[in-house]
Amino acid sequence: MNLTRWYAKAMLTNGSLWFWAVAFMAMWLGIGAFLESQGVGTTRSAIVAYTTSWYAVIVLIALSLLAAVISGSYAYGSSALAYAFRYSRLTPAGYLASLVGGSALVGLVLNVVLLGATAGMFGLRFSTTLLPADPIALVGVSLLGGVFFMALSSTLALLAINHLGLRSGDFVGYVPLVLAFVLGNGQVYVAFPRWFVYGSPFNDLTSLLYQGFSGNSATVELGTAAVSLGWVPLLLGMLVWTAALVGCTLVLLRRIRSRNLEERRQI
Amino acid sequence: MLDVRGLKVTFAGATTPALRGIDLRLDQAKMVVVGANGSGKTTLIRAVLGLVPPTAGSIAVDGKDVRTIRGAAGLSTNLAEIYRLMSLPVRDLVRLFALLKGGEPAEMEGHLRAFELDPVLGKRLYELSTGQQKLVGDLFAVCFGPRLVLLDEPFDNVDFARRRRLVGLLRALPADILLNTHELELLGSFADWQLGLMFEGQLLGPFSVAELDRLYLTRGDVPEALAVLRTSVGPFSVTRDAGDRPVKSATSLTALVESLA
Repeated sequence: MNLTRWYAKAMLTNGSLWFWAVAFMAMWLGIGAFLESQGVGTTRSAIVAYTTSWYAVIVLIALSLLAAVISGSYAYGSSALAYAFRYSRLTPAGYLASLVGGSALVGLVLNVVLLGATAGMFGLRFSTTLLPADPIALVGVSLLGGVFFMALSSTLALLAINHLGLRSGDFVGYVPLVLAFVLGNGQVYVAFPRWFVYGSPFNDLTSLLYQGFSGNSATVELGTAAVSLGWVPLLLGMLVWTAALVGCTLVLLRRIRSRNLEERRQI
Repeated sequence: MLDVRGLKVTFAGATTPALRGIDLRLDQAKMVVVGANGSGKTTLIRAVLGLVPPTAGSIAVDGKDVRTIRGAAGLSTNLAEIYRLMSLPVRDLVRLFALLKGGEPAEMEGHLRAFELDPVLGKRLYELSTGQQKLVGDLFAVCFGPRLVLLDEPFDNVDFARRRRLVGLLRALPADILLNTHELELLGSFADWQLGLMFEGQLLGPFSVAELDRLYLTRGDVPEALAVLRTSVGPFSVTRDAGDRPVKSATSLTALVESLA
C-alpha cells in the first residue's frame, strides 16, 4: 500500500516547513549574497566556490528542518500508527516505503526552490549567471538527502516514543538540526580530516551538493594542502548511513507505542 | 468477536489499577458500558485497540491476541487520535482511511452529508469544533464495513437532532458494538442492547438495558446478587427487583454508590 502522495501532500502543505526551511533559509541566502560577500574575489572560481558553499550548507540545514517536522509528526501520530498497523491494511514496511517516497520528493522540492533562490540572489549580486554544473546529480543527492533526514529523524523520534517518552521527543527533534548546523558550517571553517568527512553523512551530503553545483570536487584540510574528496566514497557513505537508519526505523516502527500527546507538557 | 479475559491495566507510577480483571465477551452483540468519568471505560477501549499494554490478562479479536494482531481491518473506533495519521483535510483523510480499510470514500461522504457536515471536508481535524470532531470520529467508526466498533462517549458535545440520527445509525449497523457512555438518560434508545456497569475499573454484567428498571444496588455482598462490586468503601451487590436503591435512579453509578456508602 503506497501512501507516498498523501505523505508528500501533508509535508508540502505544512506551513511551518515552508517558513523555516524555505523562507527563513532564503533569508540567510540573501545575507550570504548581499551582506557577507564583501571580501569575495572577482574571479569566476572564487564566486562559484563562495556561492556553492552557501548553497550546500543552506540545503543541508533546510533538510534538517524537514527532519524536525517529521519528528514532530510522530508525536501526534503514535496512536494512529499503533492502531493502523493492527487494524488496517497498512504495514510498517508499507508506511516506511511511503515515508521514503514522500521525503525524497519533498527533499527534491526544497532543493529546487533553494537552488533557484541561490542562483537568483547570488547571480544578481555578482552580476553573472550561476547555474548548477550537474543538475542530474543534484536531483539524486536531493532525493537521497530527503530520505536520509527522514530516516534519521524517524529513528530518533521512535527511540524517544518507544523508550523515553515524548518529553525527550521534543529534544531529539532538534538533534538533526544541531548536527547539520555544526557539521555543515564546520566543513566551511574547520579543516576536518578526510576520514571524518567520508564517515559523516552530513558532510557527505554537503560535499556532494557542492560538487553537483560547482562541478568541482569539495576539498578538505584547507590551510595545509587541499585534498579533493571523491564522489564515490561520499555517495557510499550517504547510502550506508541511509540504509542503516531506514533499517532501524523499520524495526522501531514495528514496535511503536501509543503516547499521549499530553506528555508534551508546557513549561 | 471480542474476548477479554482477566484484563488488568496499571499505568506506570500509578498506585491503583485502572482496570481490575475485566472479563468481557462480545459475539454478535451490542453492549452499552455505563460508568462515571475515570471509571476505566476509555482505558478498556484503548487496551483493545492496542494503545495500552495489559498488565495481566488477555484480549483477543477474532481469536487473535491484540499484541500481535496485524491487518484486522474489521475493528474500528471513534477515538480522534486514531485519525491523526497525517495532517490532512478531512476530505483526504476520508480517502486515506477508505484505502486503509478497503472501503469506498463515498460511504463516509454520504454520512457527512446526511449529518450536514459537508463543510468539514475542506478542514483539518484541529480546525473542527469539539462536537464536529466527535461526529467525524463516530462516522469514521461506522464506515468501511466494520465488524466490531468501539465507541467512546459518541454523543459528547453532539446536538440533539444529530444524536437521534446517530442512534438510528448505530442501531442499524450490522456489527458488534461496545459503546461507552456516562449518560444514563441515553439508555432508553438502546433497550435491546446488553448493559455493562463500570465502576473503579471493574465491569459488572452483562445485564440487559431493558431490565435496567429492575436492577438495584444494595450495600454488602448479598447471596442473591447478580454481581458484586468491590469498592474502596466496601462491597455493593447488584440485585434484581429489590434492593437499597434502583440503579436507574442515579445520574451515575458513582453517585449511587456514594448515596449508599
